[in-house]
Amino acid sequence: MRILLVEDDPHTAGFITKGLREDGHSVDHADNGRDGLFLATTETYDAIVLDRMLPQLDGMTVLRTLRGASNRTPALLLTALGDVDHRVEGLRAGADDYLAKPFAYAELSARLDSLARRGTGGSGEPTRLRVGDLELDLLRREAVRGGRAIELQPREFRLLEYLMRQAGRVVTRTMLLEAVWDYHFDPQTNVIDVHISRLRQKIDHGFPAPLLHTVRGAGYRLDA
Amino acid sequence: VSRIAPLAWLRSTSARLALAVTASFLLAFVVLGAGVYFAVSTLLTNDAREVVRADVAALLQLYREGGHDALVAEVRDRADAPDDPDAEYAVVGRDGRIAAGTFSQLPHWTVKAPRWIELRERDSEDDSVSRVVANLQPLRDGGVLVTGLQTRSQDRFLALMLRTALAGLLVAATLGALIGWLTARWVARRLRSLDDTAARVGAGELALRARLDGSDDAFDRLARRFNGMLDRIGDLLDGVRHATDHIAHDLRTPLTRLRNRLDRMRMAGDGEPPAQARMLDAAIAETDQLLQSFGALLRLARIEAQSPPDAGALVDLQRLVADAVELYAPIAAGRDVGLRAECVPAQVRGDADQLFQLLVNLLDNAVKFAPTGSTVELRLHAASQVVELDVADRGAGIPEVERERVFDRFARLETHRTSPGTGLGLSLARAIVLRHEGRIALLDNAPGLRVRVTLQRA
Repeated sequence: MRILLVEDDPHTAGFITKGLREDGHSVDHADNGRDGLFLATTETYDAIVLDRMLPQLDGMTVLRTLRGASNRTPALLLTALGDVDHRVEGLRAGADDYLAKPFAYAELSARLDSLARRGTGGSGEPTRLRVGDLELDLLRREAVRGGRAIELQPREFRLLEYLMRQAGRVVTRTMLLEAVWDYHFDPQTNVIDVHISRLRQKIDHGFPAPLLHTVRGAGYRLDA
Repeated sequence: VSRIAPLAWLRSTSARLALAVTASFLLAFVVLGAGVYFAVSTLLTNDAREVVRADVAALLQLYREGGHDALVAEVRDRADAPDDPDAEYAVVGRDGRIAAGTFSQLPHWTVKAPRWIELRERDSEDDSVSRVVANLQPLRDGGVLVTGLQTRSQDRFLALMLRTALAGLLVAATLGALIGWLTARWVARRLRSLDDTAARVGAGELALRARLDGSDDAFDRLARRFNGMLDRIGDLLDGVRHATDHIAHDLRTPLTRLRNRLDRMRMAGDGEPPAQARMLDAAIAETDQLLQSFGALLRLARIEAQSPPDAGALVDLQRLVADAVELYAPIAAGRDVGLRAECVPAQVRGDADQLFQLLVNLLDNAVKFAPTGSTVELRLHAASQVVELDVADRGAGIPEVERERVFDRFARLETHRTSPGTGLGLSLARAIVLRHEGRIALLDNAPGLRVRVTLQRA
């Protein structure tokens, strides 16, 4: 992937650039808003990582200008302010995702993967999702694996649907929390892990090849 | 209330104050009344003596000019046809016989010099006793001239005055008691406003201050000092809070960096021996735990700094409870703990995310401390003004003395030191409840803990 990073803090920029390059992406880095906006409008990127507070031109303005010029490149907003209000404001300004500093690299990487996929996503909403021999019928709200029907609670269905849409990519616990539950909150214990293991019990139990994998230090991945 | 020992109310300052005011009121009235009574009665006696003295002078004049017989004749005349019905006369011979006069009998005196006496005369008609102020004058022949004046009207006046004074005393006593009671009440009320403020501040409304009326009296000064004290407490608390928030904020970045480095190490060394990988995993898990604590501290600080969500959106608590129960159902099932929710439709105004966080924190504690095989109960109850939410478990509960302390940051019960958690769950819960202008109380579920959250109904 080709990624534009607009971040003024050299330390954060260095650590993100290093990580993304190691993951095999090509990274362009701008350390102020004006240069960032210039690069974003003149070059083509798969995703933009944009700091909210930047010298010369702040991240929100860069984002609004881009969206105003019909540039739909997926953008991930980074911020030191983790408030829900700021999050909502950022998403309204046209950000596709929002990440509060400090964050683990795995979190950024997983979110970028998800964003880039969303950007190139196929036309129209699928009515059926398929990973290996697991099939999810979004209209009839039914799950079938290897010809065997799987009973799912509504929340489990949403969980599985999200994992299947992100099939093959790492999904962090925070991403699951944001996508599957309707509240922005901090789970006290390993509630997400427990929900995942319940789901795993239902979709993987009795099948030779597991689909739902735990990715150490990052999250989960659904993969055939 | 009635269990107080008899006279125990006397120990109350207000009652004493009321009594003191009443007593001094009465004492002042009695002293004043007695003084006036004495003065008036002296005045009246002197008046009577003045009248008698004039009479005596005229009679002595007659005696000097006309001798004993003229005096007796005059006295007899006056006794038969009195000008003044109150006037009394007698001419007593040296042998004690009454030669003439209005008296039927008199005691025997030896009179060397003129003097004043007071007689009591019984009226033969109505059996009433009247007082007579009388003057005794020795006569040349050894007899005595008695000239007196019945003080009936004066006595009536004095009696009337006494009755009026007693009625006045009654009024004064009532008035004194009333004023005493009002004074005590006024003092108590001024103190009560201070007392209420102190109680509410003690309960956690740290921003509250006592009302000042600008009169600069003792109460006002006390209230001002009290507020000064609260300001100081507030400053100290803010200082502590700021310090922890700064620490949390400033340590989070390097800690995240550390976590990323550890992560990288593990990724790079995939072929490492399992022991090393396990140690790295443990290190990462510990950094995650620390980051979570810092995150919770910062969230707590942010919520405490937020103003109440006055124009907040309507939140359906019933749905929130259902979602929270659904979120915790697998965990509870994993620990063989039942979850039962008893809900009614209830709406409050506020922040749905924060209220959900509140539910999650309470539920997390309840499920964590519930013994295997027991049931955690959630009850949503809507009254006319408020919504009550109970989260009750059957665990060990919290000793009464610890109940306030567990809301403090990082406060954890000695017995729960080893269980996982940040020690911030209840602090966060209370911050959220206070921000929503509600109350949170820890009650005894006998056995276990019942957390009761009371919120204003929307």
